[in-house]
Amino acid sequence: MNEIIFIGLSFFAITGAIAMLVYKNPMYSALGLLVSIMSVAGLFALLNATFLFMVQIIVYAGAIMTLILFLLMFLNIKEEHLPKEPKKFFLIGLGVLIMIPFNIVILKAVSNLPNANMSVVESSFGDIKPIGTLLYNDWILAFELISILLLVALVGSIVLAKRKKINKENS
Amino acid sequence: MISLTSYAFVSMILFSIGVIGVIARRNIFVIYMSIELMLNGVNLFLITFARYHFNMDPQIITIMVISIAAAEAAIFLSVIILLFRSKRSLDTDIFTTLTQGEK
Repeated sequence: MNEIIFIGLSFFAITGAIAMLVYKNPMYSALGLLVSIMSVAGLFALLNATFLFMVQIIVYAGAIMTLILFLLMFLNIKEEHLPKEPKKFFLIGLGVLIMIPFNIVILKAVSNLPNANMSVVESSFGDIKPIGTLLYNDWILAFELISILLLVALVGSIVLAKRKKINKENS
Repeated sequence: MISLTSYAFVSMILFSIGVIGVIARRNIFVIYMSIELMLNGVNLFLITFARYHFNMDPQIITIMVISIAAAEAAIFLSVIILLFRSKRSLDTDIFTTLTQGEK
């Protein structure tokens, strides 16, 4: 049963990613990315990371994708705003040729590792409580730095989006 | 039983498609989404190894990566708004604006 779920989820993840890569219209690209992200969230659940499954759906599929789709509608993108990409498929083929050796090296390295049982287990591994305990005990400095980073990003994006008005008032 | 290599295969494919998107496309939205896809591939790799070693530290690192991606989304998208307002285009060639000075 798990194998069928895995094959379906990975098929949708890769298909969504390829759809994101080849569509000209950024709206279709965003929807392909959404399919891919939801499938990756399903793979997280298959790997016993239940908390990360929820975080992936809420943050990526909820917040970031809403931001992207809202921005695409807000900018009212028309055909003449899109860049012309005459050599797109040639460059995609070139990228595939560049990435194949890299992939082979990594897959060879991973396949030499001893095999382990990766099935879903009935334990508290990956639940909210043990992850929270670990986060606030061992990773507290990283947590605080992340909160400062988010504050800086919040202020910075407001300043960037408001800059035109401030310039007009000054001049 | 699903092996470690098959999860690694899926995450490597996702990462590679992200890299190819950054190389091959000129639409700035698609480049941004390719970066998100690369982060997703790395996250999947981390979660796979968390399950493989039965250790939750990579899951914490994944939470950090997701929050950094959220911060990056806010900055990147506001920069896209600025560039689109001034140039009315989504072409990455508008980044040459830094070399041309004020117009």
